[in-house]
Amino acid sequence: MRNATEEDFDDIVMKNAKPVLVDFWAPWCAPCKALAPTLDDLAEEYADVMEIVKVDIEANPGLATRFGVRGIPLLMIVRDGAEQARTVGTISRSRLDAFVEGNVGADG
Amino acid sequence: MTDIAFLGDPAIKAQALSRLRSHIAAETFVIFPAWEDGKANVIGALVEADDKQAFASQYGYPIAFVTALEGIVNAFRFGPSSEGFVKALLERTPVGADLSRIVPHVLIALLERPDIVALTGQNTEVERWRLAIVALHQRTINGDEPDRKEWKAARMASISASDAVVDNTASHMASLIVEAAAWPATMRTVLHDTLGACGRLESHQIMNAIGWTEADESRVFKIREQAEADGRLAELSGLDRVLGLLDADDPDLARGFRERLEQFEKLGETYRAVGWQIVDLIERSPVPTSPPENVT
Repeated sequence: MRNATEEDFDDIVMKNAKPVLVDFWAPWCAPCKALAPTLDDLAEEYADVMEIVKVDIEANPGLATRFGVRGIPLLMIVRDGAEQARTVGTISRSRLDAFVEGNVGADG
Repeated sequence: MTDIAFLGDPAIKAQALSRLRSHIAAETFVIFPAWEDGKANVIGALVEADDKQAFASQYGYPIAFVTALEGIVNAFRFGPSSEGFVKALLERTPVGADLSRIVPHVLIALLERPDIVALTGQNTEVERWRLAIVALHQRTINGDEPDRKEWKAARMASISASDAVVDNTASHMASLIVEAAAWPATMRTVLHDTLGACGRLESHQIMNAIGWTEADESRVFKIREQAEADGRLAELSGLDRVLGLLDADDPDLARGFRERLEQFEKLGETYRAVGWQIVDLIERSPVPTSPPENVT
């Protein structure tokens, strides 16, 4: 799992050959912290087909503005340089898996 | 060494107990935060950091159990009962016990709870996938670990089944328990999420039983919010103030709110019961007589 900033976001996310799940979070956000182990598992599950990239919106407010982030945790799937889907708020592991599966697919 | 209690080393168990006892003696054992300013919860007390992976690695408990552990301990509330639970957990864990089957056993027990089965049984597909997921966990216990595709197929089907339950809130909440459990027991959040889904069902049923609704909750919030604005009963604070305001404005609502508070005190029963069940399972776990093969 990589971290992206305002400087390298386009290189890491928008120009990525794989679909990317972007996790917008902040250090003070307890639900974001609670989501972390779920994302760790998801990164393993989808390692071959998708990358997970974290964006700290406190350190990178420009990215929050650019993508209209009004609540966190916000998870956004970017595919071929364009946003494909997003989900805001706490989400169970199974529902997150279904969200990713529906937008990325893990080839089984 | 994976899921071997205290990595088979009595000195590690002694260290864990010593760290816990010193926090309890110093009155720095807390529910929250995990590790801050000398205060520590169950995770912080044992690894001196807010680090569940370190807890699992250093003491040999399954990561899915460790991820759920704070929630379980918190259900015992701050003080002697949570301290007693954690002490019992450590004391009753045999050094070298193979803990790799604990989580699937617990997940099966949750999925086979009669109150949950009564709800899942109301929908053919939900019940079908509950049974299928129980069978997958049972295979793990038997040493025949299902592959990723089997888990995913069961998970996606159980989610579809959940989505189809739209006419009964309790049945839908039970179906969410089934889909939450549709992961291998080695996945970090499977027990945490399944317990969370059980807790939400428990909360819903308790509130339903006393007839307390979201509208009641909202009315209490609005009365309190108004008082914050106009300063009514500012001489009181916290719950006393809320109760005073409700007594004055809406005695029926006040009665209901008192009952809601009383019932909420009982919440967490699922977590506490599972906590003791895990301790019992751990105590009975087999201790291999030869070195384990899954050395990392």
